[in-house]
Amino acid sequence: METNTNTFDLSDLTLEEQQLLESIRERKQKLIKEIQELKDEIAEVSNEMETIEVSDESKNNPKNKQMSIGKKKFNMDPKKGIEYLIDHQLLVNDQEEVAKFLYQGEGLNKTAIGDYLGERNDFNIAVLKSFVNLHEFSDMILVQALRQFLWSFRLPGEAQKIDRMMECFAERYCELNPGVFTSTDTCYVLSFAIIMLNTSLHNPSVKDKPTVERFISMNRGINDGGDLPPELLTSLYDSIKKEPFKIPEDDGNDLMHTFFNPDKEGWLCKQGAKKLSGRIKNWKRRWFILNDNCLYYFQFTTDKEPKGIIPLENISIREVPVDKSNKPFSFELFATGQDIIKACKVDKEGKVVEGKHNVYRMSASTAEEKEEWIRCIKQSISENPFYDMLAARRKKAAHVK
Amino acid sequence: MGLLLSRLYSVFESFSSETPARILMLGLDAAGKTSILYKVKLNENVHTIPTIGFNVETVEPVKGVSFTVWDVGGQDKIRPLWRFYYQNTEGLIYVVDSSDRERIAESREELFGILDSDEMREVPVVVIANKQDLPNALKPSEVADLMTLRKLTSRKWFIQAACATTGEGIFEAMSEMANMVKEYQAKSH
Repeated sequence: METNTNTFDLSDLTLEEQQLLESIRERKQKLIKEIQELKDEIAEVSNEMETIEVSDESKNNPKNKQMSIGKKKFNMDPKKGIEYLIDHQLLVNDQEEVAKFLYQGEGLNKTAIGDYLGERNDFNIAVLKSFVNLHEFSDMILVQALRQFLWSFRLPGEAQKIDRMMECFAERYCELNPGVFTSTDTCYVLSFAIIMLNTSLHNPSVKDKPTVERFISMNRGINDGGDLPPELLTSLYDSIKKEPFKIPEDDGNDLMHTFFNPDKEGWLCKQGAKKLSGRIKNWKRRWFILNDNCLYYFQFTTDKEPKGIIPLENISIREVPVDKSNKPFSFELFATGQDIIKACKVDKEGKVVEGKHNVYRMSASTAEEKEEWIRCIKQSISENPFYDMLAARRKKAAHVK
Repeated sequence: MGLLLSRLYSVFESFSSETPARILMLGLDAAGKTSILYKVKLNENVHTIPTIGFNVETVEPVKGVSFTVWDVGGQDKIRPLWRFYYQNTEGLIYVVDSSDRERIAESREELFGILDSDEMREVPVVVIANKQDLPNALKPSEVADLMTLRKLTSRKWFIQAACATTGEGIFEAMSEMANMVKEYQAKSH
């Protein structure tokens, strides 16, 4: 039963078998050569890519890049963002400097600014004070000053945070407008009462809306034990009732800038990815935005974060004949190089995952809309030979195997 | 079981048709009020732009029972304003960070400061011993002792262990609040 696996006599094989062996050996040599070629090519490409990245970096000043990273971090986690900017010497670790940065607020999310200013630790409270002091309230009536102040960040909803913010605001207001209130405390309590009023009048959760009489009686005794003039309270009440406090629409979200002036936007129906079970793919109505060679889709027009992103690289677009689709005015994106389209989407748990589509099928509401989308997308599609090359290589390697 | 359920429903029935009960939510900074409020939030409508101001939500912790919960608080100077809001309050939810041993005395002072006011007389209190998931958290009985809750003789009170991040204990606290509010309403009307 014992056999020697290491050596065998060629003459044991038939002529046919010998030929087959020869051809296998030849193929092996060829493959080794090919693998080497691929390795060389990959090395070459990665070299090239490195130089591209380096030149990119020097082109767009790395400081600018870090600044934009810092701002993005800030919008996700204000504390980490400020730490990052300080660590990278883009911001001086000083209350005045941080306050100025927040006050300029370029590219910063208003809610994130409010969260940072509301934190209850010494440094943040110092920043809050400096931040308030950057505001100019001279010769403004209280409600006007308050409107301006609340425009610069989103007031957090926690009572204690509002308390600290109104106290700082009142100090600044009274400093710039001496004589308007008998004491800073009066101004502070009244400002707080105005926030309560804004909440009561405009928050849909509050069912019993206070009358002006109630507002007046609520403020009884807040003027160092005395009452404020009812005319003042009435005019405050009217002003808030007529116009709630607002913050700017554009809250500095980076994506907002991307979506601000798109090449095209509109509602389309999008068919889901093919299920493994092969059951019918469902259609969902999505808001699509085409910009920067990318197609973004959202659940609602007001959403700030897209549900999915499809880079328009190395893909093509074609109409879908009526008999091939269960919806009219359909068109689809398909990959030219590989099977799956390179794209990402947000899954049910909010995680960003790779897309599973080999075609993205969309349907417009009219024939004109369809033509227009196809035309616009065609203009946006770009070719990146690197992806095609890799895809082709991968395919070939898989095939040879 | 059936009897208990029907009793439970009859308890809730009477306030379902009326306006929501006014509930205040208090506690020191970072006790977890906001997390609790949004754990029991009624409408998950995230598309309306939220009003600038205090966190206020209408919540329906138990079917047919709705509360309007205000996040209130701040320094003594603004307490007269809240007192105005206390007037029609039918319940107080008081949130304590069970892991913050250093501030528990401050928290007690705050609670008794509020309960001292005339408008809050007899208003029932549910104390939520929050952050039970943290390793050094005080047990609810320890929180009750340190907060001297046993001194509260003229009103109903209840302490509930909870973890706002997971939602554990929140429903229990709210349904207890619903029971107490119902009882309070029956007594005062």
